[in-house]
This record gives sequence, C-alpha cells and structure tokens, in this order.
Amino acid sequence: MEVTVTKSEGITTVVLEGRLDTPASPEVSAKLEPVVQDASGTIILDCGKLTYISSSGLRIFLSVRKAAAAAGGNVIVKSICPDIRNVFMMTGFLNLFQIED
Amino acid sequence: MKAREALSKVFVQKSARAGLMLVLVAAFTLEATSIVQFVFSQRTIKEEATTKAESQLDATKLKILDIVDQAETAVRNSAWLAQWALEVPDSLYAVSRRILETNPIIVGSTVALVPGYDSKRPLYSPYCFRAHGSDKIDVSSLATEEYDYPSQEWFTKPLELGVGYWSEPYVDVGGGNILMTTYSLPILDRNGRKAAVLTADISLDWLTDMVGGIKVYPQAFSMMISREGRIMVCPTESLVMKYTVNEAASSLGDSALFSDLNRSMLSGERGNQTFKYKKTKMHVFFAPVEKTGWSMSIMIPDSEIFGNVRKMGLIVKILQLLGILMLIIILRAVIMNQIKYNELNDRKKVMENELQIARSIQMAMIPKIFPPFPDRKDLDMTATIVPAKEVGGDLYDFYIRDEKLFFCIGDVSGKGIPASLVMAVTRSMFRTLSTHEDDPARIVSLMNDSMADVNENNMFVTFFLGVLDLTTGQMRYCNAGHNAPVMLTDTKWLLPVVSNLPIGVLKGFEFEGQETVMNDDDAIFLYTDGLSEAENSQHELFGEKRIYDVLGTRRSSADHMEAIKEAVSEFVGDAPQSDDLTMLFIHYFRRRHLTLENDIKEIARLAEFLDQIGNDRSLDQGLVSSLNLALEEAATNVIMYAYPKETAGALDIDAVLGKDFLEFTLTDGGVPFDPTAAPEADITLGVEERGIGGLGIFLVRNIMDSVVYTRKDGKNILKMTKKI
Repeated sequence: MEVTVTKSEGITTVVLEGRLDTPASPEVSAKLEPVVQDASGTIILDCGKLTYISSSGLRIFLSVRKAAAAAGGNVIVKSICPDIRNVFMMTGFLNLFQIED
Repeated sequence: MKAREALSKVFVQKSARAGLMLVLVAAFTLEATSIVQFVFSQRTIKEEATTKAESQLDATKLKILDIVDQAETAVRNSAWLAQWALEVPDSLYAVSRRILETNPIIVGSTVALVPGYDSKRPLYSPYCFRAHGSDKIDVSSLATEEYDYPSQEWFTKPLELGVGYWSEPYVDVGGGNILMTTYSLPILDRNGRKAAVLTADISLDWLTDMVGGIKVYPQAFSMMISREGRIMVCPTESLVMKYTVNEAASSLGDSALFSDLNRSMLSGERGNQTFKYKKTKMHVFFAPVEKTGWSMSIMIPDSEIFGNVRKMGLIVKILQLLGILMLIIILRAVIMNQIKYNELNDRKKVMENELQIARSIQMAMIPKIFPPFPDRKDLDMTATIVPAKEVGGDLYDFYIRDEKLFFCIGDVSGKGIPASLVMAVTRSMFRTLSTHEDDPARIVSLMNDSMADVNENNMFVTFFLGVLDLTTGQMRYCNAGHNAPVMLTDTKWLLPVVSNLPIGVLKGFEFEGQETVMNDDDAIFLYTDGLSEAENSQHELFGEKRIYDVLGTRRSSADHMEAIKEAVSEFVGDAPQSDDLTMLFIHYFRRRHLTLENDIKEIARLAEFLDQIGNDRSLDQGLVSSLNLALEEAATNVIMYAYPKETAGALDIDAVLGKDFLEFTLTDGGVPFDPTAAPEADITLGVEERGIGGLGIFLVRNIMDSVVYTRKDGKNILKMTKKI
C-alpha cells in the first residue's frame, strides 16, 4: 500500500495505491494524520490506483471527512473503481463524499 | 395365522356342507327316479305276468272245453238212438259201442236203465269200453251187486237234475288207474218217462299233461281242482285225487292257507290272488272251466315274476351307491384341492408380505435420504436402487469418516432372496471393515477373504469401493470386477480399472488398489449392469453411449439421476426389468482451506486465497473483491474480539465452491463471540453523527446471502453463503 501526500496551492492531494485492507490501515492512518490535523483546505483523495478497501479503510476516509467538516475543509474522492464505488454505495459513503472521476 | 386357520376351517365347513347337500340331492334324485322306474316296471311286469297266465289259462280251458264238448256232443247226438233202442234193450250196448267207435277220445260208455223201467231187467247196464292201451272195444255189464250202479253219482245226478252232468273225476281202478270223468245224460222214452242214463267216459290223462305242462315261468306250476275241491292236477302226484285243497292245506300245517282261494275257485270265479307260504309269496291266477265245474290255477312265485326287476333294482342301487361314492370322492378331492389351493394362496400372500418386509429391511440398510449430508456443501450425491424383484442383489453405500467419503457399489451374482442375503452381508462387511481401514484394496481383500471362506453357493459380488479424501480430493479406489465408473471432469472418461476378480471367487486374492484425484467440481457416476444392459422389447441394450449422452449435460446429481431414469424407462418401454438397476452419482466440490494466525497481518493472505477461487471458477473480479471484503471483515472481527490481546490462536477458513453457491466457514477457538449480534452501522446518518463501528458486520451481511453463527465444541463457527 502506497500513500503519497502532496500539498500545493492549498490543495492537499492524497494518492492511494494498492489495497487498503485492515493490516494496511494503521500505516495509512499514520501517514494521513497530518492531513487530518490540518483539514481546512481542499483534500483530494485520489483513488485511481486503489483496488480494494475494507471497513478499516472506510474509517480512515470517514475520519478525514469528519476532520474536514470540523475545520471547514472539503474532501473530494477521485477516480474510484467500480468495486470501491460499490462499497461506497453499500455503506452510504457516496452521500458523505464528493465523488469525482 | 389363527385368523387364517379359522378362515380355512370355515371354508372347509362350508364346502363340506355344500358337498353334503349335493350328495343328498343327487342321492334323492337317483332314488326317486329308480323308485318310479321300479314301480312302473313292477306294474308292467305284473300286467305281463297276468296276461301271460290268463292267456295260458284261457288257451288251456279252450282245449279242455273242446274235448268236453266233443264228449258232450257225442252223447247228445246218440240220445235219440238210445231212446229208440229202449224198445229193444238188447241193442242198447250198440249205442255205446257206436259212441266209442266214432269218438276216439271216449274210452267207455253205457246205457244204464232206470231200475224198474224194464220189468224183465231190474238192472241193466251194458258197458262198452276200450281196453287199456288198445283200440279193441270190449263189453261188460255194470249191473252187478257190488257196483250197484243206480246209487252212483253219474246215474243219480242227471236223472235228478234232468240235464247232462259231468261227474266228479275219479280214478278208474279197474281200467289201469287212470283219471276219468263221465258225462251222463238222462234219456226219456217216447212217453217222457225217465228211462235210462247214457254216459261217456273220458280219460283225463291228457289233462295232467296239458295242465301240468303250462309253464309260464320256470318255477311256476299249475293245479286243477274239481267241483268239490279235489285236486285233479298238481305237481305233487301223491296228492292227486286223494285230497281236497283244504285237506292239502291242513297237511301243510295251515288249514286256512287256501281258504280264500278255494272259495273263489269253487264258486267259479276268475281272477288272481296271493298267498304266502313259508315266506314264499305266490301269485295265483285262476279261471273256471265251465260245464265241468273245474277250476284251473297257475301259481307263480313272486320272485319269479319280479326277480329280474328286483335284480335290476339291486344293480341300479349298487350303481347309484357307486355313483354317489364316486361323487363323494370327487367332491372330497375338489374340496381338498381347493383347500390346498387356498393354503398355497395364503402361503403365497405370506411370502409376498415377507418379501415386502425383506425389501424394506434391505432398503433400510442403504442410505436413501438425499441429500445425505445436508450440512456439507462439498458433496452433491444421489443414489438409486431399483430391484428387478422384490429384493435384489445390488447395493450401494456410503458414509463419511475422518473427512473421507467411503462409497461403494456392487452387484451380487443372481437375483432375488439369495442375492439379497449376500448383498446384506457385503454391505455389513463394507461398513465393518472400513471402520479402521482406509485402504480400499485392503478392505476389499478382507471382504473377499471373509466371503470366499464361506462361499458354498459360489455367489460372488462385483464391487467398486472408493475412498475420497474430501479435503484433498485424492481418491483411492479398488475395483473388484465391476464396470468402470464414468468420471465427469472437463470431459467424460471411464475411470481406469485393473482387472481384479469379483469378491468371493478366490480366497487370498490380492486386490490391487488405484488412485486418482477428484478436482473441484468433478463428478463420478457409478452404476451396475442393470443400467448398461437394460433391455428394450427388441432386446437391444441401453449401452454406455446412451449413458454418456445423458451425462453430457451438467446438472445436479438429483437431476442427473432423474434424467437417466427417464432415459432408461423411455428406452425400455414395456419390456420387463430384467436386472436390478443401481446408480450412484457423486459431485465433488473440493473444500478450500486457509488457516490464519491470530495476527491482523494475516488478513492479507485472504486476497490470494480468494483470487485462486476466483480463477478456478472464473468468477467476476467484482464478486471476488466483495467476497474478499466480507471475509476480511469477518476475520478481522475474530482476530480483534475472539482472541484477547496477546493470545495465540488460529482462524480456519473453509471454502466450498458449489455448483451455484460459495460457502465460507470461519472456525476459531477464541472466546465466544457472535459478530451477528453486534449493532450495525446506521448508514443514513450524516458525517458528524456517523460512528466508526459496525461497518464490518454491515458489509458482511450486505455482501453475503446468509450469515449464521454457531458456537460448537468450544469453537465459534461462522457460516457465510453467497449464491452465484
């Protein structure tokens, strides 16, 4: 699981690559900690290379979303694959996030 | 049994009663017929006897009267001559002589003058007679002192009566002891005075012959009595002219014996009577001889008349008895036959009933409920057995021990009860010997040794035994002369089998085992020759090609079985089933297994496990992914909650890929934890309200079609099924 966080012009871009399963969550969670801490801007979660997500991953997504909501920021989930979109739909996450292709 | 005996008894009683009635009716009918016949024939015979006797009597009477008439006529015709000769008494003898000369039947004649008619001759009676045994005519005089003719009956009676008179018969002592009778006619002179009596004697010798010769029946005899009841003709010569009928009766010891008869005969009646003497019944037919006052009778013993009728009656009666006896014998035979038939029928019913019981016992020995292992998703099995008779020699059996499926199919030589007994033995040996032994060849060898040891009837069993390791798919098998099973993998092929002997043929034979691997979704079809050799009415065999054709389509074991049954039944048509038909279809789904350590990192291994399954079954990637998610959530729950921190443990994941479903079983030895009881996340809530828990079980529920938790043997078992 690769996580790349870049920040430019007030937009934080997080590129998630690989499988966000339970074992991978702690590491991802740790890497996104700065993003959660400063969630006042726009955060783009680029899921183009994310192939899998489990509930632990969804929780990370939710914590980012909650932090942004608290700090007045904005979270955009980008390029999710159909499988993950399916999971988002199942869990109601499609309503919580701004989804972009 | 009791009820049957009672029923049989009732039947016997009823039959016996009906039989008795039949015999009685037959006997009555025969008896009535013979009585009627007897009465009528008796009457006819009596009439015949009467006719016979009367005609004889009449004929004889006519003959007698003829002679009597001759004598009377001779005398009458000479009356005028005698009258004329009165004038010249010396010529009177000439009148008698003339009578003799002209009438050969007359043996003597006289003209006796009434005493005092002629003063010169107070007594005068010249007598002409034929000397005994010659034609010469002699003359003598009856006017002797000793004879005193005027006092003789022949002289007095006609004068007294004034008409011709036949004397009582008498024995002429002087003339050679012959029976005689005399006709005398009073002669009046021209003045009308009684002057003389003209007589003619006739011998009655012929009478004895004539009357005695009447033979109506061999034992019959005739009698003749005179006006006074004197016996004139009689078979017992010593009685003749010496006794009257009544005197004869007295001498026989029963003076009243003939009294009625005597009276009737003496009064000139005609008719018949019966009397009984010394138990002999006699019929007497009698008729008078007019003019003479005699009476003739014919006596016929009753037995003589009715002897034949009675003999016939006796023969008829004997025949009747024989007939009735035969009727009884036949009836008895018929009833006994019926009883035997009934008994046989009863016995047959008992046998059929017992066969039905035997059949249910036999059927109870083999597993018949399908699916046999409803909890197991790795096996889809169906079997069927259709005996040609009530009980058969085919068998199949299977059971699971130590995650191994032991299954067999067999065909005992022969059919019916003997085969069924061997089948039962074979089946129980299979069960017993496979309890502690996994090697099919070894099991079959042991079975063979046990069977061959006691095989006095040379029965044998073709047998296929397989042991399928349900975990690995490895299948060891041993084929003892049975037809090779059909394997259904990507293609269809016959499982290679070495040529072992059938079980029971040769003791000590070493059976060779073989091995193959059944992959996931492979199937094996076992059958007995009742399928391949099912015959239609044209004597064609169902054959292996048709089996292959039916197996061509992929379907559930139950559907396969139905399809084959239908195909066979369509093929065979109305032809009777000639052999037991047994089939066993096993569809195997290999169980995938994954063991995870109690470490969250182990979750990563799920992806590979599911990718493998997805590849094997060409599953949609999205499905594989969601299955992965569900499994991860469930496994995470176990690792997080079932095993408290720092405890070591394992999580076993079993996957079965059925034809149209996937089943995952998660088993762990941790503390009781039911994930299905945990609260689910409320996905309708907004960002602020959304908690972070409950998503896992929510996902599992959403992805899977069924999620069932059980706690068993200290283990948490979570079963999840997904239809595909």
